[in-house]
Amino acid sequence: MLKHWFWLALTVAVVFWYSTITVYVAWKGAKDIKNMLARLGGAKDSEAPK
Amino acid sequence: MTNFSWLVDGSIVGVYLLLTMIAGIMVRRYVGKVEHFLIAGREMNTYLGIASLAATEFGIVTCMYTAQNGYEHGFAGVTPGILQALAMFAVGVTGFCVKPLREAGVITIPELFQKKFGTRIRWAAGVVIVLGGLLNMGVFLRTGGEFLVLVTGFNIKYLEIAMTALLLLVAVYTILGGMLSVLITDYLQFVVMSAGLLVVTVLILINIGWEKLVSAVQIHQGAGGFNPFKNTTMGWPFVLFNLFVMTATVLTWQTTIARVLAAKDAKTGLKVYKGTAFFFVCRFLIPGLWGIAALAVLAPEQVGGNTLHAMPLMLRSMLPAGLIGLLVAAMLAADMSTDSSYMLTWGSVIYNDIMAPFRKTVWSEKKGLLWNRMIVALIGIFLLFYGLWYPLKGNLWNYLTITGTVYLASISVLLIACCYWKKANSWGAGAAIFFGALIPVTFLIIEQIPATEAFAKKIGPYYSGIATFLIAGAAMVIGSLIKPTPKTAAVEGGSNA
Repeated sequence: MLKHWFWLALTVAVVFWYSTITVYVAWKGAKDIKNMLARLGGAKDSEAPK
Repeated sequence: MTNFSWLVDGSIVGVYLLLTMIAGIMVRRYVGKVEHFLIAGREMNTYLGIASLAATEFGIVTCMYTAQNGYEHGFAGVTPGILQALAMFAVGVTGFCVKPLREAGVITIPELFQKKFGTRIRWAAGVVIVLGGLLNMGVFLRTGGEFLVLVTGFNIKYLEIAMTALLLLVAVYTILGGMLSVLITDYLQFVVMSAGLLVVTVLILINIGWEKLVSAVQIHQGAGGFNPFKNTTMGWPFVLFNLFVMTATVLTWQTTIARVLAAKDAKTGLKVYKGTAFFFVCRFLIPGLWGIAALAVLAPEQVGGNTLHAMPLMLRSMLPAGLIGLLVAAMLAADMSTDSSYMLTWGSVIYNDIMAPFRKTVWSEKKGLLWNRMIVALIGIFLLFYGLWYPLKGNLWNYLTITGTVYLASISVLLIACCYWKKANSWGAGAAIFFGALIPVTFLIIEQIPATEAFAKKIGPYYSGIATFLIAGAAMVIGSLIKPTPKTAAVEGGSNA
């Protein structure tokens, strides 16, 4: 099993990193979307004819 | 025999599709300018960028060719992913080429070239980018359709209908919302896709076990299944060619670069690169493990002659109802995010660069948006027809790298020269574009002609690809030195500025 330790270590690292990053990016990405749409909405309102 | 259940799995897929369509269409009201449509008004932040880049660069086609790599080459098939991760991290840390590109404030790479090499080179670069990109993307639909048909157990005669329906759904929200819809749906698709990929991988590791996976590789590929340099079908030409391709991809692949250009500043773009780099190891290792699992559990007669089908055949018999639905939703998510982003970014080059000489006057935002939407729709139609008739021969990954090389070789050479070599000029740029496209296109043609098929096989895709990069580089140097360098326009933000 340890003969191919590099691939085992890489597989463990991939599963661990990907699980963590999925949760983290899901959380922070939702905030990014909210902020992006708020900025775009604000810009659109300010450009609208009064 | 598949375990796909219409009630359970069909409902999961239906809910996912409905949510994606609603989210994608809802944001269309924020699109008022061409800049919103093509680069989301440069309002993208780091984590949305990471989700979007990861979702875009993982489609069903990715899953299929990386699984095929795993089935045919074992763990050594993951090598391109490791090379890409290293290249992306290095570029993210140093800002090599990408920083001056973002700071130049352009929408596409050819737009940057105009500042140094002139309008003709911008146009020619746009043409090879679109040619390489669309040839590359041409096989996405059929491959995606094959996966879905195999996993769900549908009759193969429904493949074209499945492809058309999938493309229509993607086209609707991409045409309406452009990059904004792409970013929002990419985010949803990243979450669904990641959940599916992780659950299936853990299930494979538990059900089949690490020992059995390693033994399968050892039996079928020996030491070459763990080390690309010891693999008889890979070796140093494979590693070197993939190092060139992956570095060039990180620097110039339009869908990847679009995230840097949509970022709110260069620093955010580089953060996206650093944050996404390791994902490219996951992108190759996870489906690679699925391919190795197919090698471990399926007899060769079950797979038939097409190794591309091994992974979906294994999954459909291994996964229970409910999980198949999650897998199909995950793969649909992966495919839709890729298709939408690819249609939009190749469309952006057609509008911004190829059509540039035809826009003699400034177009209104309304007219620009209409043209962009029409271009995306036309790309969709092209993909549908090309995907239906192009007969894929040989390894899918080799096809993708060869078609990608049509522009990766020349455009990466142009970008590096544009940012860092003062003596580079339009002669060198033109020569690099010509030779960078000529060699891979010739290889693709002689591969399809029966009389020259054996010759193409003798050269092989790796030597042909390496030669393309080296000759494109040499053409840039020789061409630039032949013509005396005039006073060149400096690239804003570049080191030669």
